[in-house]
This record gives sequence, structure tokens and C-alpha cells, in this order.
Amino acid sequence: MQDSEQTHPLQAPRPVQQPVTLNPGQAEAFAATFERLAAAVDTVVLGKPDVVRLALTAMFAEGHILLEDVPGTGKTTLARAIASAVSGQWRRIQFTPDLLPSDVSGVTIFNQGSGGFEFHPGPVFANIVIADEINRASPKTQSALLEVMEEGRVTVDGHPHSVPSPFVVVATQNPVEMDGTYRLPEAQLDRFLVKLSVGYPVEAAEIEVLRGTHQRSPENIPAVVDTDTVKQMAEVAKYVYIADPLYAYLVQLANATRGHPQVAVGVSPRGLIALTRAASVYALSQGRTYIIPEDVKALAEPVFSHRIQLAPDAAMRGASGAGVVAEVFESVPVPLPASAA
Amino acid sequence: MRVSRYRLRIAVVAACLTVMCALAGTVAARVYHGPVLTGLVAGAAVAAFAVGFLLRNKPPWLAASVSFWGLAAYLIGSFALTADGAEPLPTVVVDAIVNAVPRTLTALIPVEPAPDTVGVPVFLTWLAATLACELAIRYGRTLSGCLPPTLLYTAGLYLVGPNADPAIAVTVVYCLLAAVALAATSAPPGRRPDSDARVDGGAPRRSATLVGSVIGAAVLLVAVAALAPMATRLVTTSPGDPRELVEPPQLTDIDLNPLARIPEWAKNPDRELFRADIDGDAAMRLGVLTEYDGVTWQAGGDFRTAGSVLPGSGDGGFAAEVEIIELGGKLVPAVADPAAVTDLPVAVNLRTRGLLTPDGLATGDTFHVGSDPLIVDPEDAVGARPDLSDPVSVAMPPGAPEGMTAIADYITATYDTPYDRAQGLADFLSQHYGFDPESPSGHDYPALEFFLEAPVEAGGQRGTSEQFAATYALIARLAGLPSRVVVGFDVPGGPSTVTAAQGLAWPEIAFDGVGWVRFDPMPAGGVAPVPPEETLDELEEEATEEPEPESGGGDAEDFNDPALEDDQGDFDAATSAANDVIPTWAWWIAAALVIGSIPLILKARRRLRRRRRLRRGSPAERVAGAWAEVLGSAARAGVEVGAHANAEEAAARAGTVGASAEGLPRLVNQAAFAPGSVDEADAEAAARIALAYCREADASGSRWKRVLT
Repeated sequence: MQDSEQTHPLQAPRPVQQPVTLNPGQAEAFAATFERLAAAVDTVVLGKPDVVRLALTAMFAEGHILLEDVPGTGKTTLARAIASAVSGQWRRIQFTPDLLPSDVSGVTIFNQGSGGFEFHPGPVFANIVIADEINRASPKTQSALLEVMEEGRVTVDGHPHSVPSPFVVVATQNPVEMDGTYRLPEAQLDRFLVKLSVGYPVEAAEIEVLRGTHQRSPENIPAVVDTDTVKQMAEVAKYVYIADPLYAYLVQLANATRGHPQVAVGVSPRGLIALTRAASVYALSQGRTYIIPEDVKALAEPVFSHRIQLAPDAAMRGASGAGVVAEVFESVPVPLPASAA
Repeated sequence: MRVSRYRLRIAVVAACLTVMCALAGTVAARVYHGPVLTGLVAGAAVAAFAVGFLLRNKPPWLAASVSFWGLAAYLIGSFALTADGAEPLPTVVVDAIVNAVPRTLTALIPVEPAPDTVGVPVFLTWLAATLACELAIRYGRTLSGCLPPTLLYTAGLYLVGPNADPAIAVTVVYCLLAAVALAATSAPPGRRPDSDARVDGGAPRRSATLVGSVIGAAVLLVAVAALAPMATRLVTTSPGDPRELVEPPQLTDIDLNPLARIPEWAKNPDRELFRADIDGDAAMRLGVLTEYDGVTWQAGGDFRTAGSVLPGSGDGGFAAEVEIIELGGKLVPAVADPAAVTDLPVAVNLRTRGLLTPDGLATGDTFHVGSDPLIVDPEDAVGARPDLSDPVSVAMPPGAPEGMTAIADYITATYDTPYDRAQGLADFLSQHYGFDPESPSGHDYPALEFFLEAPVEAGGQRGTSEQFAATYALIARLAGLPSRVVVGFDVPGGPSTVTAAQGLAWPEIAFDGVGWVRFDPMPAGGVAPVPPEETLDELEEEATEEPEPESGGGDAEDFNDPALEDDQGDFDAATSAANDVIPTWAWWIAAALVIGSIPLILKARRRLRRRRRLRRGSPAERVAGAWAEVLGSAARAGVEVGAHANAEEAAARAGTVGASAEGLPRLVNQAAFAPGSVDEADAEAAARIALAYCREADASGSRWKRVLT
């Protein structure tokens, strides 16, 4: 790894013709900022450091987060805590069956004073958008998020309107209570970089939750980073080194999901790109400027599992995307150095 | 510089393997006649290897295609070279391809190079050279490349069987070439300078490889020295011969026992059997009969398909041109000890040297037989002892007629030396029995008993050469003389037509150092036979008056005395074993030492490998070597780490043996996925971790496992 010129620790290298690599100082600065942000969120979301770090990883990878769990496990709290820790603009949308697409994206209204139509931006125009109980909205309203999640802009009445950058959608949904809900289509699921489950806290963490119920609130978290810093960190993550054998390893993993007997539709190339981006951020958060197979394995389940469409009979037998991912990792050899016999 | 060394190495390997393939092909050529096959297989080896070598950087399918067409062209060329031109080339090619294997296996040694006998060696040599080139040159697997020529070498030895002398010099040269090829072994594909493959693992160092090779070679040499005598003894005592697996040509009754033809010939003496033109007066043999079962005489041994050249002591200088007229059957008339037959496909009986044509004789068949008949002077046999080396020639089935026993006793009592007994028996039969061409056929015990003992008025005491020869041979055996019956013709020198009147059977007696000597028991023409009872009664009267000592009387030497056999120093297994230079217990000790040294060699090899992994190469290679040491040590301790495990998981799994490799996964990942980021200190740290782990892991295993792994 050659040392680059003296730059701000979180300033991305200038794009040049030759492959650019990061210096250890940049990785350490990234890891320190990442850790301060995670520690801030941890003060509210107790006992879930892994989930917190995965969520932050997705944010710095410029991806969107789907939090799926039973009610009351802290999904919304996690989303709000992340929003508070980043001193940017955030909005929360409570999805309901009667929510309209224009309630999300915005609407054009005739202004009698000016004599023209004016665009009134919807809540989607924020750095962090909390889409609470996203599966309660109609598919039509859910689809209103498709364009903005992928392209970072909203088109209303034929006019594109860009959302601020960084732009992260943190959606929650309840997998148990299915009455009056609309399952997210595959295309919509594919837009989410990771799907996380918060889960119940361990006993000690739950006691701590009870002890500080009134003192602990996401709104009380001080902003640790601003949106510019988040943008810079996301840019830095694009220069993490990935060895050639790891590219082959990633493709073999994706191919293994596509050829798995329990899978109808395996991981898409977009899913593979998402895993690579997430692994890059994960490596930086560990203070490394290069990806290792452990990064890939740590992120494979949250990135891959919701992108895998199980065959009907496998789904009937109770198979899961996470199970398929685990089996895939058991079948693909890790590209560690061969024995020097 | 690196490219030049690489090219030099593969040139050496290619040259060694080419010569090895040629040598392997010529192993089988030792049983072929002349140098033709040697040239063909050597050319095949060179051509096949050249094709593979020139196309080593081209796609494998292209090399295979070119080699295939090259093989086809070379085979056709070989067929054209060895064909006699009697048939068009396409016919020769098809016939050679269809019959190559069976004819190669049934051909008599020395095998005549012909299209159907050169195809298999040429094909196998080409195939071995192609495979050797692909494995050694294209894929850089020199040891694997040595395998095809070695298999060909083994196949050649098996095909030759016990039919040629040991090729010790060739074997030594072959082993030396293999050693040179392995010593100059080419680098694996990833190390080739003409490859852009990236290699993460460390390549073997020359010095370490050399030490390992020397140790391995020493072990192999000791093992060969210990096991080779046993293997040699086994092969010597029961050699394998693939020809035994091939069914020999089948014979009809008249071919199995040509003696039955005598009465027919005697009744039709004017029947023209064949025309012959031979260099001098000689007896042309049709069949040689050595085995008697109480009913018939038969030839022992199997007939084997032969080429035009037969095993002989000379060049077949006694020539005979034969044209068949009415002689039927499959047996071919020839002067004794045939050496070459042309214009007729033949098989030969390895024991009796009799000839047979598988398709049978037909009117108009013309062929040439060159023989080297052994000229036996009867005077040489006068003082010779009987040759009792073949037990078949003295075997007598039970139930011999009393008349035979009486005559045998008479002969034994009357004559002292074997030759005198043989001649005396011929004289006895010729003087006391008469010739009658109308005598009934048969030479089983009852027929011979009738011939010997029946009254003259009833048709007894007269017969054809069938009865005379058969009776003589059996009585001779009762008298301790090895005998056989030959059926053939007395043919004068020069061109003549052989008729049935010339067909006869005669007995032969084997004398040590002389060979088979013909005797004539047939009565002389115009002399009335003396009744045998008169002579035999005289003997009984003499025996009553003056008992003879059991030894046969006087100072005569007892030629059947077993003590004489011992004096001649015949083979004695116990004596032979005692004369062995190295006693058996020494071999056992050597074998035990070899087996006992295996753990030490394994340990030394592992130590050398560990040193190479941890101390040689770039820091990244040394970290990878440390990782390999940890995984290897865990495996020896019984913990296998799957290929799907990443470094942290593998280290955790390896840690279940009670040793820790903490810190090593980070270095391994760094070395593998962040090139250039590990330095000397990291490599040293990795080596320390690996050594500590190996020490703890080895200590946790069982003692036996530590010794044997």
C-alpha cells in the first residue's frame, strides 16, 4: 500500500488514472468517526451494537436500511437515533393504507399570487427518511419510493426534483401482523442494501432499558457528524482495496445462491455490488484499507437474504434466505493462500 | 535469464522423456526379429513428442488433433514399410488393425515385423509419448509425465515375458533418464515466465527440493534393494506370459495323432501326397508324438502362431520346396528343426518343433521351409547316458501288456549300455515281427498286445510301422530309455514326388549330450521273422541256471544309477539357497530398517518443509507458510479445517486442539488481501506464532500419531 499525498483523513483521494489506495491514516480516521457515531446510537439502542454498526455500514455505503422485526423491539428508535446522530435534515413518514404517493413525494399546487404552479416537496426531501411500517402503505404509495431510493430524485408532473445528499431511507416493517399490509415487491426489496432484525435485547440490556426509560430518548443524542462528513466518508469507502481473489469469491457466492436447489431467484448483480460496497465500509470501520473474507461473511446475510427468492416448495418447508446464505458459505472455498507444499 | 533457464529445463525434460519413451517401446522389440520395430517405436516416440512439444503453447484440442492424425499417418507408414506387397495397402491396414492384438500375442518369438505385429507397439509408444509430453511439458508435471513411458515399459516387459534375457543396462539407463528429468523438473505453470498467473503460495526451493529428492531416492533404493530379490525370485519361479491367455490353434483328430494315418498310407502306397525339392536325403517330419495315454500317442505342448522366422540355431540352410498334392490335415511336413517358413502361415509346437498351418493344407499350396537339422552321429550315442530330463518321455500309463514287460526284461538283461539296449530292441522287433500293410490300425494297449503276442495264424506278430514304432517306444520306456514316435516321410534329395509308400513312423531315443537318435525297428525285406517265444525262452533258461546280479552284471556302468545324477550336480534347491551370498535374515533386517526409518524420514521431511515455509521467500510467502504449518499441525492433531472457513474461523477451529494461533489470521488476511503490506517483522511474528502452535498441538497429540505422521 503506497502512501498517498497528505490529505484530510476523511477526504477521498482525487480520482486519477492509476488505481488509488487509501493510507492507514484515512482508515483509522474513518474507524474513529464510525465508532463515535455508533457509540452515540448505542446510548439509546442498548445491547445491539452489531445491528447498530450494520445499519451505519449501510448508511455509509449509500444504501437504504430495512428494519424488520416484531413491534416494540426498537426499530423506530434505531432509525430515529441514527437520524439524530447525523446533524442533517430528517423526516418521518408513518405509512398507512390511505397514504397517497403525493403525500410522500410532494405535490404541485397553483399559486394564485404568482399565477403559476409551485412544487411543494414531500417528506421524502430529507437526508434521512424514516419510513415507519412501510408495508402498511398501498403498493402504489410504496412505488413512490422506487425512483428516489435508486436515483436520488423525484419526478413530479414531469419535472425532476433532486433530494438532498446524503439520502438514506430507514424503513421498518412488522413481519408478524400481516392484516392490512402489502408485502414489499422484490424490486422494492432489492432497493434496500440491508435488511436487519433488531431482536429482543439480552437480559442485562433489557434491565438497563427499564432503568433509564425516561432519560433515554433519540432526540437527546447530540449530533456527532454532519451530512458533509457522511458524504466524505461514503466517498472514501469507494477506494477500499479489493484483491482479485475476493472478486472471484464474491461472484462464486452469488452463483452459488443462483444454483441452490431451494432458490427460485438468486442474488442479482445489484445485490453483489451492494455487498461489495457494504464490505468496503465494514473494512474501514475496522480500520483496514482492504477487504477480507470475514467482512464478506459478516455482511452476506443482511445483504443477501432478502434478495433471495425461495422456491415455493422450499418456502413451504420453512426454508429461509438466511439458511440458504449459510449453506452457500459452507460450499464456497475461501481464497486463502494455498499451502506452500 | 529466467526464461533461458526455464527453456533449458524443459528441453532437458523433453529429451529425457523422449528417450525414455523410445526405450520403453524397444523393450518389446527384444522379441522381434531384426531392427525394424526398434526403429519404428523410436521414430514414434520422437515424432509424438515433437508434435506435443511444438504445440505445447497451443490449445490442448489442437495438440490432440494433430497428434491423432500424426499417429494415423505414422501407423499407415509402418504398415506399408512392413507389408510384403502381396495385397493392396487398404486391405493390409484394415487387416492389421482388426488382428493386431491377437496376432501380436500369438506370434512366435522372435516375432516377424509385419503390419499386424508392429501396430500395437507403435500405437502404444505414440500414445505414451503424447501423454508424457502433455503432462510434463504442457502441465509441468514431470513425475506424472514419467508414468506413461513407465507403464509402457511395464507392458513391454509383460509382453516379452520370460522370452528374452534381462535388459539390465536398458533399465538402468531408463532410471537415470527419469532421475535427470525429475532433477531438472520444470516449474509449475504459475511459475513459468511465459505465464501471467499470479502465485500466492511459495514455490519449492531448489536446495530443499534437492535434499528431499535425495532422501526420497535413498528410501526408494533401499526398498528396491530389499524387495527386488524377492520379486525377481517370484518372477523367475512363475513368470507371467500373456501368450498363455490366448487360445492356441485347435487340432483335429488326425492332426492330434498322425500315427493313425499310417495304415491308410500303407494300403494306398501309390497315393501322391506332395512334391518336394530338398537339398539332400532327409526325413520330413509330419508329427512328433511324445505322450502316450494307453490308447493314443499325441504331441505334447501347444502350437503357437509364428511368423516366417522360427526360433532356430541357424539361417535355415537346409532348404525344402514343397507343393501339396493330396496330403490333408493341418500338420506341415518339414525337415527337422525348421528355422524359417515362407508363403504359408504356420504355428509351431515349442516342444517338438512340429509345424502346423491353421487353415489346413490344400492342393496347390506351395511353400518353402528352411531347416537346421541336427546331424546326429549314432557313434556318439554309443557311450552316452539316456537323457532323462523330460519325465514325459519316460512316462508309462499302467496296464502295459506282459509281452512288453518280458521283452523289456530281455533287453535289459541282454544289453549293458543304453545305446546297445536301444539298438538291441530295434533288432529284436525287426527279427521277430513282420511287416503287413493289411494289418488293422491301432496302437492302444490291446492292439499292441495283439501285435506282440497273438499267434501268427490269427494275424498277430505283424503290422505296419504304426505298431512297430509304438511298440518300440513303449518297451524302450519300460527299459528306462526316453522315447518318442515320429511320423513322417523318407524323402530323397532333389525334386521328387512323395507318395504314401514313403510315409512311416519311427521311434527315437534321447541321449544325453547327443539328442534324439532315430532307430529302425522295421523288418528287413525277404527275411522270415523268428518267433519271439524262442528268444525269450532262452533267456528264462539262462536265468534259471545262473542268476545274474541285480546290477545288470559285470563291471558295466549302471547308467540309471541315481547317484550318478547327483554327481552331475543337478539343481538342488537347498544347495542353491546355501550358496546365496546374502542370507534371508539379512533381507528381513534390511526391510525392518527401511520400515523403521520411515517415521524419521517423515519427520525430517516435515522439518525441512517447515524451515522452507517459515524462512524462505518474501514476507507474504512466509506468512502463508506459517499458515500452512498451523493447518498442517491441526490436521495431524485430528482437526480438519474446511476450505470454506475464513482465517478467523480456521484459527478458531484449529484452536480446539489446545493450542493458540492468535494473531495469525490477521497477518494471513493482510498477506493475502493487501499485497505488500506485510514486512519482515510480520513474517517473523507469524513464524513465532506458528512454531508455538505446532509445538503445543504436537504435544497434545498421542505419541503414536506424533511418530507416524
